[in-house]
This record gives sequence, C-alpha cells and structure tokens, in this order.
Amino acid sequence: MLSHKRKKIPEHVDPDLPIVPMLDMTFQLLAFFIMTFKPAPTEGQIALALPKEEGGGISSPSPIDENKPLEYIVRVEATEDGRIAGMTLMEKDNAAALPQDLKADVQNFSDRLSQISRQLAQQGKTGKLTLEIDDKLVQAYVVQLVDQAIRIGFSDISPVPIDPKKR
Amino acid sequence: MSHGAVSSEKCEPNFVPLLDLVLQLVMFFMLCANFVIEQANVTIELPHAAAAKMLDKGIEYAIYLNVNSEGVVLLAPSDQYTDSQGNVISTLNNPDQVETFLKRRARDDIAAAGPGGEDKPLRSVIILRVHKNCPFEKTYGIMKACRRAGYLRVQLRALLVQPD
Repeated sequence: MLSHKRKKIPEHVDPDLPIVPMLDMTFQLLAFFIMTFKPAPTEGQIALALPKEEGGGISSPSPIDENKPLEYIVRVEATEDGRIAGMTLMEKDNAAALPQDLKADVQNFSDRLSQISRQLAQQGKTGKLTLEIDDKLVQAYVVQLVDQAIRIGFSDISPVPIDPKKR
Repeated sequence: MSHGAVSSEKCEPNFVPLLDLVLQLVMFFMLCANFVIEQANVTIELPHAAAAKMLDKGIEYAIYLNVNSEGVVLLAPSDQYTDSQGNVISTLNNPDQVETFLKRRARDDIAAAGPGGEDKPLRSVIILRVHKNCPFEKTYGIMKACRRAGYLRVQLRALLVQPD
C-alpha cells in the first residue's frame, strides 16, 4: 500500500553565512598588498633605427643638394670614471664654421642646439646630429644627450664612437 | 510602572558593506601589483629620459638584451641555451657571442616568415635594457652585433621622468 504520509515542509531557516572568517582573510590579503605595494617607475622607449651598412657608409662627393639636411657633430670626451669631460660642436661640410667649445655643461649643449634648431626652422631645413662619443662615457650620459636632442626637435641622431674605425 | 519586554532579537553589525569595500581595496592592490616581466632583469638600473615614449603594447616578438654595468648581456631564463659542449649559456660576454645568439634568433624569424623570408625585415624587435653605468664602447659593440645579425629595429629602454 502506498503510504499517504504528507511531506513535511521544513520550517523557514535563516541562512547563516559566516562572514567573519572571510573578512579575516580579506584583511590579511589587504595588509599583504598594502605592505608590498611599491609603485615602480614607468619604463619608456627610445626607438633607434640602425644603419644597414658598416661604418655609416662611404662618403663620396655628392652634387650640392639644397634639401640635404645640415649635419652637426658634437664630440663628447669623457673622464676616466665615465662622466662628460668636454664637448665640441662642429658643422660638417662648413669649413668657415669654427668648432665651438661647449665645455662639460649639458645646458650649453642644449642651448646651442636649441639655437640651431630655431635657425633651421626659419630656413625650412632639417638637421642631422652625430654624437661622437668617447668609449668611456657611461650610458646615463649618452641617454641624457640623446634625450636633450630629441626634446629640442632633432629626429635624426646618431651616437657613434669617436674613432671612425670602430663604427 | 511598566517594564518593556526584553527583545530576543539578535543584534549583529552589518559586515556586507565593509566586506565590499575591503574586497575593492584588495582588487585595487592586486591590479597595481608589479608583475615582473620574466625577460626584464630587475638588477639593471636604467637611465632616465624625458623624451622616451610609452611602451608599445603591440610588439608581438621582442628579444630582450639586459646589459649590466660591465657590458655583459644577461639572458632571461627562457632565452638561455646549451652549447655544443653541453654548457648552459646564461650570459653573453662579448659582441661576437651576442651576434651568434642573435643570428640563431634571426634564423627562426626568417623561417617563421615563410618563403622569401630572407628579403623581409625580421619580425622581432631588439629591446636593449642597458645599465646606466655601462660604458658606451660596450653598448655600441652590442648595437653593431644587432646590425650584423640583421636586426635594424632597436628600442633603448629608459625610465620616464617629467621634463624640467
């Protein structure tokens, strides 16, 4: 025989979710992340395009081109410990322009390049900057000089060693 | 005098908004946590530059060269390899070794490019993370090695600073 027992309807039960252990764990996680939080300095990039040929190509006499960018050379000498000892600015293919001593002052370098950049803009010309760098100069100063030149407006910058045989 | 009946209801503080807030804080700190890129060596102290641009997230193939203050390239664990004598190579001490390493990678890039891959530009970008005290001679030697291996696209890494 089938039993006709009626199913018991359970009484209403309040669900008891234990929040306190969860809160404990969450606070521990929070404390961990707060203590280990150290915002890292943001890394940036300076894009370089390397020349295809060794030694920057062979310079041969070329016909005078009005649109050819004017090339400026800054020779950077270094101290034994890799700091800037002195800088000299020269203009390539311009025998009349005397080399200018920029001393070991990056501000001088920046001011003189800004002046050149303004002159080039007035003449509607572009400039190329070659940094002839002493082997001993450390990367921090190389990047500082490239950085200054980019900020002034030079887009064609070539850091090369002073000795042409090493290029 | 009438004395009010003592209520038997439980009095519990409401933890839910507090939990919400705390979980949001945990999420914030988790998202801001520095995930160390395996290929970027944390011992390399980079120079500062204001003109450096934000990193290009679209670079799919990159070869990291972490150069220490002595000009030695420290290879990431995933880039380390075993030479013919069975030695694990984890550092590249001179430009010739860098060139050999990069030529091997260039072969992979050419193979991945398919037929006529030799004529196409190599897909990988070289990421140069050079220590701020590394002499220029060493850096330039590595750049020349990149060029000899056929890699012409190079990124120099620096820490971003606000312009003066």
